[in-house]
Amino acid sequence: MARQQGWIAFILALAIASGALLATYGLQLGLDLRGGSQLTLQVMPAGAITKVETEQLEAVKDVLERRINGLGVAESTLQTVGSDQLVLQLPGEQNPGRAAKVLGSTALLEFKAQRPGTEKEMQGLLPLKRQAEAVLAAKQPQPTTTDTGLPAPPPKPKLAPEDLAKSLKALGLNVPEGSSETDQIELLLAEVNRRIVSLYGPTLLTGKDLTSAGRQQKATGNAWDVTLGFNREGGEKFATLTQSIAGTGRLLGIVLDGRSISEATVGDEFKAAGIAGGAASITGNFTADEARDLEVQLRGGSLPLPVKIVEVRTIGPSLGAENIRTSLLAALSGLALVGVFMVLVYRLPGVVSVLALSLYALYNLAIYALIPVTLTLPGIAGFILSVGMAVDANVLIFERVKEELRSGNTLIRSIDTGFARAFSSIFDGHITGLISCAALFFLGTGLVKGFAVTLAIGLLLSLFTALTCTRNLMRLLMSYPALRRPTYFVPAAQLPAPVS
Amino acid sequence: MVSSPAPLPNSSAAPLSLRYMRISRHRRLAWIASAIGCGLSVLGLVLCWLNPAIASPLKPGLDFTGGTQIQLERRCQAGCGDLSVTELQKRLAGLSLPAEPGEVSPNLSSASVQVLDGGRSLLLRLPALSADQSTGLIDGIAPVTGELKTSGTSINTIGPTLGSRLLRGSVISLLVSFAAIAVYISFMYNGVFAFLALLCLAHDVLITCGVFAWLGLLQGVEVDSLFAVSLITVAGYSVTDTVVIYDRIREQRKLLADLPLIDQVDVAVDATLTRSLYTSLTTLLPLFGLLLFGGSSLFWFAVALIVGIAVGSWSSIGLAPTLLPVLSRR
Repeated sequence: MARQQGWIAFILALAIASGALLATYGLQLGLDLRGGSQLTLQVMPAGAITKVETEQLEAVKDVLERRINGLGVAESTLQTVGSDQLVLQLPGEQNPGRAAKVLGSTALLEFKAQRPGTEKEMQGLLPLKRQAEAVLAAKQPQPTTTDTGLPAPPPKPKLAPEDLAKSLKALGLNVPEGSSETDQIELLLAEVNRRIVSLYGPTLLTGKDLTSAGRQQKATGNAWDVTLGFNREGGEKFATLTQSIAGTGRLLGIVLDGRSISEATVGDEFKAAGIAGGAASITGNFTADEARDLEVQLRGGSLPLPVKIVEVRTIGPSLGAENIRTSLLAALSGLALVGVFMVLVYRLPGVVSVLALSLYALYNLAIYALIPVTLTLPGIAGFILSVGMAVDANVLIFERVKEELRSGNTLIRSIDTGFARAFSSIFDGHITGLISCAALFFLGTGLVKGFAVTLAIGLLLSLFTALTCTRNLMRLLMSYPALRRPTYFVPAAQLPAPVS
Repeated sequence: MVSSPAPLPNSSAAPLSLRYMRISRHRRLAWIASAIGCGLSVLGLVLCWLNPAIASPLKPGLDFTGGTQIQLERRCQAGCGDLSVTELQKRLAGLSLPAEPGEVSPNLSSASVQVLDGGRSLLLRLPALSADQSTGLIDGIAPVTGELKTSGTSINTIGPTLGSRLLRGSVISLLVSFAAIAVYISFMYNGVFAFLALLCLAHDVLITCGVFAWLGLLQGVEVDSLFAVSLITVAGYSVTDTVVIYDRIREQRKLLADLPLIDQVDVAVDATLTRSLYTSLTTLLPLFGLLLFGGSSLFWFAVALIVGIAVGSWSSIGLAPTLLPVLSRR
């Protein structure tokens, strides 16, 4: 009796603790339930590295984390998945395009000097680049300024179709059939940039030597510059680099991920010592957003390995709310039906099992809040299923109790034997379930892994509640003589005639 | 009153003569039913494979093929029905999206458009688009669709490699868990029990797949990653269900040691029959809740589970126990 009161106290204490846990931590809802964006990034092996190792994955993650912090998205999470993937969740974000752009590029910044003897070729390429950039910039949607009293914008720069075709041909480019003008200009620009990069010598300085990055608006116009600060070593390298080309007319090239983003001349006055002081700025005609994104990327450092965005999922908040509403309704109606069924079929023990299963559900949710398990749509489905498994344990026990009663045992003895005999089958069933969970957890990916976690929690808890909650609640009730009636367990017709 | 089977004698002196159900009397029927089920499933899978539009045993969804799927909700007052799919498709084909560096603009003429809820929402299936391209596309089709509710938009883009990874991961983990379960059952029972548990499991998974092959052929139902999850669940449930009956057979072998195995099995199946049916019912009830109220995203998931669990209960009653005496004879 005392032992069993101890158990009841324990069960109640657990229930109170679970309630408190749920109230303080709350449940973490997945993006499919609250709306937002999820990006999966695949780390690609590059160069000498053919397989992505854990340290490299972590290094990529560090860089990405710094970039995400720079972006300033609230509550974002970045997790590694498997051996070479990262999943970024941006709750509430409906337009992941910018995040995709900032995270997806390697942001390898390189400073190079133009090779001697290539001046002529460079002179042919640069005007073409400026022209193409100007045309593309004019195609960008402009903020409407018509009614603010500002002077009308200058006429849009244009590239005549025949000039474009001539330039493309001169560069040896084949234009795909039916491509738009924008596509063609972009193709042209990419090739021009590639050729410019090929005119540079080896990399003399990289973004590794950066200590800071910032941006400032140009004195004239809307364009922005990105400012850079180097560490001591970087400052020295930069001085040497600029000294080597000062006054020669050759260019200093700033290359980002293999694209030439800026070409600068270095004046004669730096011939003596190069540009010292450890600071520089990139004049690339950036828009405010582009400058900010580049600043974020440079501050975060370059990625040790390139990443590719392999999955983007975006869910609107009202869709998420509807998902919650419908799956909750489904779960509650299903569980209510199970409760009614248990009470109808098993009578008094049915009531006990409804109580025990409510505790089971409460404990389950508390563990989700504690670990924490992010609740997604399949997660809710998994939870509903694990309740099914927990019900099975109760069914097994009470069927056994009924059998014992039918074969003429006393009530208390039937209950004890029922629990004892049902144990081995409950145990075997749960162990096989847990074996599959272990395999799914260690070998499965993403969705499968999450499902294995919820199911394993459910199975372990169900073992616990079936053997403690159901059993001790049952015993507690049996301590009231008024409830000790076999007809509360089995219809009278099924009981053997009393031996008198 | 829902009640358990007919009253049983209070003494276990003559347990067999009064049993109301002997499963082995109906075993031929059970085997034929299962064989027909498996045959139809294989037929469905093969037909699916031969169908040039599908060309795989099950119709793969976005999760496995890769691509972009965009769901849009229209903000329409009265004229919701006036959306022309052909016009939208024409608009899509003529749309030029911002190209990603180093790649050509995606070709949108292969896009498929589906109108749902009487024109209130739209489902577009497209080749894989970047995030920018997706938003560009939504802006681009706005003149045809009219105003859209941004809070009701969902965009999913999946690279084709992801689906095959998911598939490979699930298959490997399934096979390993089968092996581990087989080891556990052979250790606790014996090899024949383990073999039959796996046979039942294969039977349940095959029939669930078969049903979806037919659904794919007749209704165009696609399988997604949730379907993979449901197959795993069905497999787990199938084994658990079978093991409970095994446990009872093991008990009867001790209690009724002098009777032939076939009788021990009959007694065990009879004794656990109520439990098996009730358990299936209590597992199916919440799933029917999911089916009826769970919304479109979980509908086919619920269907897969309902089919699998129903078949799983069947095989654990009608298949594993009836085959046991046949295979154990040697």
